Amino acid sequence: MDFQIEVNNRKIGAFEGEKLLGALQRNGFRIPTLCHMNRFSPTGACRLCVVEVEGKGDLITSCSYPVEEGMKVKTNSRRVIHARKSLVELLLSNHPDDCLYCQRNGDCELQWLAGEMNVRERRYFGEKNRFFPDYSSSSVARDPAKCVLCSRCVRICEEVQLVTAIDFISRGNKTKVNSAFGQGLNVSSCIHCGQCIQVCPTAALLDISHLEKIQAALASDRKKVMFFISPSVIASVAEKLNMRPRDNVMKKIVSALKRCGADRVFDLGFANDINILEDAHRLVQVLQAKSEKPLPVISSCCPSWVRYAEEFRPGALDNMSLSKSPQQVLGTMLKTLYAENQKTDIEGIYTVAVMPCVAKKYEASLEKNTHKGVSEVDSVLTVRELLRMLRSFGLDLSQMEEEEVDSPYDVCSSAAWKLGYSGGKAEAVARQVFNMTAGSKKDTFRFNLPKNQSIRRETKITIGKEQLGFAWVSSIVEAEKYLQELEEEGRDDIHYVEVMACLGGCAGGGGQPISRGFENVKARKRFCVEMEKLSPVKSPADNPSLGKMFGDSGFDPGNAAARDWLKNSFDEKK
Amino acid sequence: MFMDTTDIDKVFQKFPNQKREDLIPILQAVQDEFGYLSSEVINEVGRYLGMSENKIYGVATFYDNFRFTSRGRHHFRLCHGTACHVAGASTILKELEKLIKVSEGETGEDGLFSLEVVSCMGACGLAPLIQVNDKFYTNITLDSLKEIVVSIRKKDKASI
Repeated sequence: MDFQIEVNNRKIGAFEGEKLLGALQRNGFRIPTLCHMNRFSPTGACRLCVVEVEGKGDLITSCSYPVEEGMKVKTNSRRVIHARKSLVELLLSNHPDDCLYCQRNGDCELQWLAGEMNVRERRYFGEKNRFFPDYSSSSVARDPAKCVLCSRCVRICEEVQLVTAIDFISRGNKTKVNSAFGQGLNVSSCIHCGQCIQVCPTAALLDISHLEKIQAALASDRKKVMFFISPSVIASVAEKLNMRPRDNVMKKIVSALKRCGADRVFDLGFANDINILEDAHRLVQVLQAKSEKPLPVISSCCPSWVRYAEEFRPGALDNMSLSKSPQQVLGTMLKTLYAENQKTDIEGIYTVAVMPCVAKKYEASLEKNTHKGVSEVDSVLTVRELLRMLRSFGLDLSQMEEEEVDSPYDVCSSAAWKLGYSGGKAEAVARQVFNMTAGSKKDTFRFNLPKNQSIRRETKITIGKEQLGFAWVSSIVEAEKYLQELEEEGRDDIHYVEVMACLGGCAGGGGQPISRGFENVKARKRFCVEMEKLSPVKSPADNPSLGKMFGDSGFDPGNAAARDWLKNSFDEKK
Repeated sequence: MFMDTTDIDKVFQKFPNQKREDLIPILQAVQDEFGYLSSEVINEVGRYLGMSENKIYGVATFYDNFRFTSRGRHHFRLCHGTACHVAGASTILKELEKLIKVSEGETGEDGLFSLEVVSCMGACGLAPLIQVNDKFYTNITLDSLKEIVVSIRKKDKASI
């Protein structure tokens, strides 16, 4: 602590140069705010964090005001409380007020604030916001009428994801968040990451819901509905319901989905394993044919990152690993191999991926991801939608009995859990490269990392005679910086780069339950790490499901037949 | 309707730095060249400066001087300063919108009329007033407004 300040007649410590809000929050003073985001510069847009400072005539916004030695602050004087309450009332005056019909009912910061500020009558009658909602995108829906213009989505889209798919349009009381010419997100530069949904305090940004479609399919006799669940979904469902790694969350989800009418429930971890094998294979292949193919190999399992590269960084496409994302791998398998094995018509299979991601909805809708004119993945549920669906069916996960995951895609190796967080995939690929080239098994190998952790990381490991560099970045801004750096410095010591578009990887995905700060993301990562330890199958190559699917010869990543359906393709913007 | 933007490089040549700071001067120059900022033009500017189209549109809409639709052959500017407001500019505006079937800030589909509302033109003694292209009409009443529109329509027909 550099010095002390006085807050509500109590002394607290503060650091030179920090903002008042930070000092207050650290000391347990709860200050309401709608626009503040950690790690971002303050905007003072919502003004809810106002406090009274002795010697200042006006109320000041604590988020943007630096602390001063000996300053005297009042955070809950009558004047402050009154100002905050009026602000909330004014925000509500043009809000649609349709909370009962709102998807974020009960999970809305504006609603909480109205409750906290004890707003119990309508004092301001204003003209209501009337804007057309934008359902043009395959992933993100916008309802500008519910927007409070806090600028969180605009800032995260511009500063973290570098795409500025939405921005403030016009000025003054006509300001709204929109894309250029109101053309809709589908034709904008949106990369579908859904981070805007995560930061939106209200329901102005939502995922395009596939719930109705799925419920219709579940009720239909002609469709066999097959769910497959991503390991990172299990982590966040467990987090939401206070379950522990040993609670067999997956088996409970299986049982619940069966009660909803699911025909089969599979573990997407199997496809994660294939994805890791493919990436490792590609890396080894490139290393062996040094001259022809470019290094580093860049992961392509994140559809937002692929979309970004297609639009803004076409140069990176040559380096992309060619493997399909796990979701599309399993979707393809169900509609080809599995359908053949089961002698089922592919029209009769309805595949539903449960993912921590909204970009997967976009990915599933792409034409390249169809087979004989039928989508490989028919619907994608986010974690939020899954929880909502279970509630609407009246199911309580904690009360469910445990049911086994359906064969053949029932095993998830410990490596597959690594796709759930940033850095995990690079580590899993490194292990696999060890196994493939060094001849010795290193299934519990972990990167040896320095203690000072930052978002972007890299490490070097020695495999056989060679030293290989592995790097992993999450968020587009970090990816862009890192790849630029590699290019400019002409570095050739990095051989594999894992890129995830969301901060923290899939643990911080746009389809996760609304996260309040980075703590949730860290908790989900810890869960995945725990599950890695519990998983009996360590190496992806040892996954018994591979044998079940591909026969005794096993899965051969370089195999031409396998390539055909497992190959990803990219659509460079002209 | 797509705009031909082949000449835009000539405008860009005046701004060789390709810096974000040049955005507003570039937009002004481009608007001078093309008359307004179309989606195609903004796209080209974005490509030149490496900026998102949405960002540029957001910046441009902040300023009143940028237009996003082409002007009609007869561009109405209606003064809505304090004096004109007191003299009934709001009523005039509503009536004018009805007469020319174009709402504020827009251009009719036939390209005949466009309507812009501006702050004080500085001729408060003559309120309310409108400007059509280069010509000013002062002390407007609902009746005289109708005559103005009818006469412009006639003239336009004759000229074609």
